[in-house]
Amino acid sequence: MMPKLAFRFYLMQPQVVLLEWDSEPSEALLCLLIAFKKEILLHSEDVIQITQGYCSLMVFYKNKINSPSKFKEILQSLYENIPPFEIQKGKLWKIPVYYGKEFGIDLEVSAQKLQMSVKELVKTHHSVCYLVYFIGFLPGFLYLDGLPKILNIPRKSKPSPKVSPGSIGIGGQQTGIYPQESPGGWHIIGRTPYPLFQPSKKSPCFAQAGDQIEFYPITKSEYKSIEKGIASKTYKIKSV
Amino acid sequence: MIEVLHPGLYTSIQDEGRFGLQSWGVPIGGAMDKNAMHWANKLLNNPSNSAVLEMSFKGPQFRFHQETTLVLCGAYMEPKINGIPIENNVPVHVQEKDLLQMGNAHKGCRTYMAVAGGIQAPVVLGSQSQCKGITSETVITKNKLIPYNSSRFIQKKGARVHLENSYSDTKEIKVYKGPEFNLLDAETQKHLHESGFTLSVHNSRMAYILKEKLKCSLPSMWTSPVLPGTVQCTPNGNLIVLMRDAQTTGGYPRVLQVSEDGLNVLAQKSTNDTFHFSILPLNE
Repeated sequence: MMPKLAFRFYLMQPQVVLLEWDSEPSEALLCLLIAFKKEILLHSEDVIQITQGYCSLMVFYKNKINSPSKFKEILQSLYENIPPFEIQKGKLWKIPVYYGKEFGIDLEVSAQKLQMSVKELVKTHHSVCYLVYFIGFLPGFLYLDGLPKILNIPRKSKPSPKVSPGSIGIGGQQTGIYPQESPGGWHIIGRTPYPLFQPSKKSPCFAQAGDQIEFYPITKSEYKSIEKGIASKTYKIKSV
Repeated sequence: MIEVLHPGLYTSIQDEGRFGLQSWGVPIGGAMDKNAMHWANKLLNNPSNSAVLEMSFKGPQFRFHQETTLVLCGAYMEPKINGIPIENNVPVHVQEKDLLQMGNAHKGCRTYMAVAGGIQAPVVLGSQSQCKGITSETVITKNKLIPYNSSRFIQKKGARVHLENSYSDTKEIKVYKGPEFNLLDAETQKHLHESGFTLSVHNSRMAYILKEKLKCSLPSMWTSPVLPGTVQCTPNGNLIVLMRDAQTTGGYPRVLQVSEDGLNVLAQKSTNDTFHFSILPLNE
């Protein structure tokens, strides 16, 4: 187990505490954050929810925090006493992607900029596992880590005003899936028919922090049939 | 039912919003001015979380299909029932076929209409608040029929709610220092304390961008959670105040955090309104 890094305790609002680690994001830190989060939820009845960033947790309390030093002490003691945990990953989700040119509108330009063939770009993108750091920005937007360095491409200088939901993009060191129609600065290389966010479900997003994502290529007809399966509620996303 | 003859500029159904789902990236949302929403519900003896209509800048026109009691709180929008002016903050009984006409907003920009028993809308992820990406509709539209719970409003004898309505005129926005405030140099900190700020035309339920820029050269940071009321500073010094429908995480330094009271005051500000921040102690 790695020696535990100290965290900074900061009151954002009378009922909300921000905990921050002065560190680069890493898999080890992610696992520590998830373990700490579990520990706080297990031992503190007054905590409503905990959200996460790359190197931070935000703890929402039911009531106003009257004595910050006391709360800090409680959190510190929970942190020091996290039971030993192994670095273990969550579920592995397999996301179907149609990397066709009609959806992957920036495929060719991106391949040119990266000095590789479209085939090579696509293969590199779906040949690795991505780690879900947390969900944020938009409902169901997964912050993924693991994009191979050879696919790092500067973001568009002028963001597209409208990116379709399900679009898979690459930009900078990141890749991701747009859960809903929104403006976006990433280069779009494909689209998944699987909805990233389903408000009618009790758990509206299938994945959570610590899970892994793998993309796999599908044909246009497979895309259409999955789309039908989703509409008739017969399609289930694959997980390992 | 309420028949929407004209939807106004931006009218949506709101309640307290969604809480506890932010780990999925769900905005908290809910009424921009929660004070006004709570007053409206209180005046009708509704539970405080009952859904209300939030009308912004220019109000709608409604036809009522059953009798009910309504109340309007927040900004004054020249409301008229069948052409006769009515007051804010006073329960008004309306009959079947009555026409409610709202005009332009004065003394604030958002008006809340509660009806006895509450507006009915589908509950999505624990809330009736309309929000992009969550509910199928994000505003009310022309010809729409909005159902409401029929509940008889009985005015309690002698019961009065004293309304402190002057907050829409206040220019003081109560804030706390944000987690990155101390990274600003002394001069910039002073600037945040002492200068006035102006709301730009870019203001919505998601965020307000201020006209004045900050001299700020803070290092970029790893994406971290944000809240409604978080004031972000972009690399070119723009100040963005996140409002109720804000995203749940962000990568810009968080220089201030607007208090809940401050958010309700800001909710009533519109383009070119000026205000100043007053910093309350929290971490000291």
